[in-house]
Amino acid sequence: MKYNYKAKRIYLALVAVVMLAATSCKTEKIVPGSEAPKNIAGNWRVIKATRNGTDLTSIIDFSQFRINFTDKGYSLVNKLPFLVSKDGAFTLDDPQYPYKITFTATGDKPVSTPFTYPIVNGKRQLSITFSPGCANNTYVYVLEKAN
Amino acid sequence: MRSYLLHIKGKNLWKLCALVVLGIALACCGEQITSVDQPATATVGAVVPITVHCDIPTAGDGGPDYLIFGFLVPKGWKAAQNTTITYTSKQGNGNMTLIPDGTLPKNGGGLTWPAYMKKMFGNGGNLIDDVEWVAYQTDKAYSHTGGVEFIVDLNIKTKVGADNNNMLVKLGYTITDSGNGFTSDGNGTYYSVLTGMNCFEVTGGTGDLVDFCNPQLTTIDPPKSLDNDFVTLTFDGTVTDTHLKGESEVYLCATAYTSDGKTIIVCEQTTKTMLKQTTATSKKYQLTFWPRSFFNVGDTQTITRMEYYLTDKTGKTKVGYGNTDAPFTYTFKCG
Repeated sequence: MKYNYKAKRIYLALVAVVMLAATSCKTEKIVPGSEAPKNIAGNWRVIKATRNGTDLTSIIDFSQFRINFTDKGYSLVNKLPFLVSKDGAFTLDDPQYPYKITFTATGDKPVSTPFTYPIVNGKRQLSITFSPGCANNTYVYVLEKAN
Repeated sequence: MRSYLLHIKGKNLWKLCALVVLGIALACCGEQITSVDQPATATVGAVVPITVHCDIPTAGDGGPDYLIFGFLVPKGWKAAQNTTITYTSKQGNGNMTLIPDGTLPKNGGGLTWPAYMKKMFGNGGNLIDDVEWVAYQTDKAYSHTGGVEFIVDLNIKTKVGADNNNMLVKLGYTITDSGNGFTSDGNGTYYSVLTGMNCFEVTGGTGDLVDFCNPQLTTIDPPKSLDNDFVTLTFDGTVTDTHLKGESEVYLCATAYTSDGKTIIVCEQTTKTMLKQTTATSKKYQLTFWPRSFFNVGDTQTITRMEYYLTDKTGKTKVGYGNTDAPFTYTFKCG
């Protein structure tokens, strides 16, 4: 009898511990801070350009070239070789974390290209990789908002 | 016993030393391309046989490793699709297979095999950066144990001139093994390379003559481009003395031929056509331009080729292909 009584007390204590353990943790709901959709609207100019790794920035006059993004469209001013040669519409693959931009020149098929959107020295930059001529020739334009 | 040692010391010391030295010599030499049998010329589309003779002594036990082979060819040949390689050796015969890009070399610092070869051996003496290393490996591994010498012939059959271009090019060859890569250590050098040999000539094509071997008066970078690329034209006055010797700047005088059968001539001496000397005494002059804009072609036109001369400031002194009166030519194409 003595032994049974002891066992019962231990059993009760165990149940109490398990209950305590089960109720001690309350799941906290974490609300993820929502990443702002990337807004690239504005007038962009080339600040750096490379062809197959060779810097073209100082040997080609990029000063007049502009890409003007609106909410969904874009237009090219003083054209230079680019992914598209006509104005049209663009989309980002993910409005919050875009890594691909798709241009659809009016009347043409959509073309997509890798795209990064870093902040350098406090300024947003757009870096676009493309091949306007032969597929083996790769160009990178780094764009910054023109004032 | 004692007398035996003394005996060696006395009588056979030289023999023993010679054996030791010979042993070290055998163990130290690593992979070696001993020679290459390569024809001097071929016509476009011909399948060319090339044999690379290799000798791979064993430098201590190791492996088994795969024999790696790199073949330096013009990109336009599309050699990966147009080449078969077998190997024959005392230890067995088999096929060489293309190394997939996902198989990274040991000691290659994360580069693929072709990129590792390009980093080590560059363009193999070719003057135009339009050649590639194509990397193969044996289908079976070979052992380094027991001092076995792996003497192997690589039998290449490659179809030349897929781009239909006539050319002069320096082919190149390199071997190593998958266990070491392009390295050396106390046991010796684990690779061998043969580049810069006689120029191999391809004839019978309908495209431009591409000369990788001899310095050209003008070059266009990228070597393969379309009218919607930026192209850099370089005039190299160090190749030979021309009538433009001593000029501080030279000018482009060009004719574009378009897909709709038109010709557009731009022959003026302005900043638009000016090739600047890269430094005051370099005798090398450069102009980078966008052909579509330079020739002001319409949206529906494309430029298929151009002919050009270089002129002085007056436009009266002209230099053409090979320092003659004939124009330089360039075809806009990718293949």
